[in-house]
Amino acid sequence: MKERGFRLAVVGDQEFGLGFRLAGIRDIHEVSDPAEAENTIEKILGDRNIGIVVIQQNIFDNLSVSLKREIEERTEPTFVKVGGEMGVEELKEKIRRAIGVDLWK
Amino acid sequence: MAIDVKPTRSELIKLKRRIKLSEKGYELLKMKRDGLIMEFSETLSMARGVLEKLRESYENAEQKISIAKAIDGTIMVRSAALAAKSEPEFELRSKNIMGVVVPVVKRKRVRKKLSEREYGIIGTTARIDEATSAYEELIDAILEAAEIETTLLRLLEEIERTKRRVNALEFKVIPEMKEAKKYIEFALQEMERDNIIRLKKIKAKAEA
Repeated sequence: MKERGFRLAVVGDQEFGLGFRLAGIRDIHEVSDPAEAENTIEKILGDRNIGIVVIQQNIFDNLSVSLKREIEERTEPTFVKVGGEMGVEELKEKIRRAIGVDLWK
Repeated sequence: MAIDVKPTRSELIKLKRRIKLSEKGYELLKMKRDGLIMEFSETLSMARGVLEKLRESYENAEQKISIAKAIDGTIMVRSAALAAKSEPEFELRSKNIMGVVVPVVKRKRVRKKLSEREYGIIGTTARIDEATSAYEELIDAILEAAEIETTLLRLLEEIERTKRRVNALEFKVIPEMKEAKKYIEFALQEMERDNIIRLKKIKAKAEA
């Protein structure tokens, strides 16, 4: 992890990005349609300076299946889904797969 | 298993040594797996709280910015946002849990004082300040969530890997070696009996 820089990126629609901009984050990608979102995320995945990606839940939901899997299988950068379920479901699923029991409850 | 070992005494000794080693490794790996799972369930109960906090602060932030936008107008908020430019700083350290390296995020001053914000105090309203504070809090929560989520995922990965190794040893490697050992022992005994018979025959011939 040491080699990975530590910047925070935000992916979301215009409304979503605004608040983060207020808090001083510069790396904000405003996307309006799924295709654009996918391009942006590909770019982010290639950028080794980004450590955490904040992504709007419904944008994440609209990504293609392969890209979602790619995101899920990588530990870096970490994607934090904000809004809606906050990625709880995915986490549960992973726990079930690794341990065999749903430890979440 | 296709038995492809030579039934010699030296092979047998080697095998015995390897079985002993594998069994030791198996015990150790089992302990590691249990330890990892314990660590994991601890982290998991922490994660629940953190995710809950994340959800709360997101809702709070949403609300605050909506109010700011409704009363002061979107353009006002936007211009304030454009003025903000000092990026929050983080520091990334790593921690080692049973051979799993997990990140520890150190927050360096995400929250700024009112006077440190880049848009002036006079130009904007309290609502925008509140929204900014709420978002700064949200970022705090996000960082925490990211840290704990990465930890969970790394632990999961390691658990899976360890489990696979434990199972491979238990159900494949050790039984195979044991079978080979049995085979060698049997073959050696067989050779011994052969030899005895042969000697007896020779003796009988010599006496005759």
